[in-house]
Amino acid sequence: MDPLVKSAKEGDHLAFAMLFKENYPFLVKYLMKITMNPDIAEELAQETMAKCIQKIHLYNGQSKFSTWLISIATNAYIDQCRKQKRESNWKGQEEVYRKLKWHFESRNEEWNDALEALGRLPVDVRVPIVLKHYYGYSYDEIGAWMKISSGTVKSRVHNGILAVRRELKLGEETEGRHTRQRTTK
Amino acid sequence: MKKQKVVILDNEQLNNHDLGAIHKLQDGLSKVDQFPVYTPDLQWFENMVVTEKEKSRKKLMKELSLFLIIALLILSGIIVSFYQMPVVFLFIQIVTPVFVAFYTINGLRKKVRNQ
Repeated sequence: MDPLVKSAKEGDHLAFAMLFKENYPFLVKYLMKITMNPDIAEELAQETMAKCIQKIHLYNGQSKFSTWLISIATNAYIDQCRKQKRESNWKGQEEVYRKLKWHFESRNEEWNDALEALGRLPVDVRVPIVLKHYYGYSYDEIGAWMKISSGTVKSRVHNGILAVRRELKLGEETEGRHTRQRTTK
Repeated sequence: MKKQKVVILDNEQLNNHDLGAIHKLQDGLSKVDQFPVYTPDLQWFENMVVTEKEKSRKKLMKELSLFLIIALLILSGIIVSFYQMPVVFLFIQIVTPVFVAFYTINGLRKKVRNQ
């Protein structure tokens, strides 16, 4: 186990602070990708760190500390979405990518249509897509974090990619040809 | 045979479209990684750790004292009923295990139904 993590587990505040400082940009950037909102990402990063302090005794060092942070952050975001849905305060989340798009524009970066398509997907589909196809985690790992079976993760990722493809109008010709073939049979 | 080949080619094309979408997503997401993120200084993180630890210690103390108060109330109620109203004491002794068994079985049934 990383000596810094070991010291943090033993109650060393400075070790904890160093661990967080080291992993903070990675954590915030991950949260920016799944929330598509830099403000919410920073808020959730603080919540994640607070949960991490409470649960440090559960970290066994089998995975990287940053991976463990990602799993906590994922759950924190999903919990927040459920809570907001329950409180029917969902209007701010309808077009989640708006704030990110604004950030792209303010930096004179070209906005990517795929991100817009990703932002239109529900949270429980968007998160596994980012984890699988950007960070390269396995279906089993994602399933364990989201408390769903790896088969469910796989089908969500597959359907999500299909939805993104549809939004980007990729492969419409092929699909059309398939339909034509079927109708002529 | 020919027909099968056509199907395989179509599937390959479909996978290519999947890959195309995935590459576009990765492109967009990698741009997010280039965004500058303001990282507070070490002191800020240390203060946060101290505050959070203090908060969770207070929460633990609150929960523990609430648990002890409730436990004391229940115990004193049972002792009083044992000396003053033995019928009530017997009633509690019979009803409690029945309630616990019923509650556990009901919970397990719900779990199985959800799976």
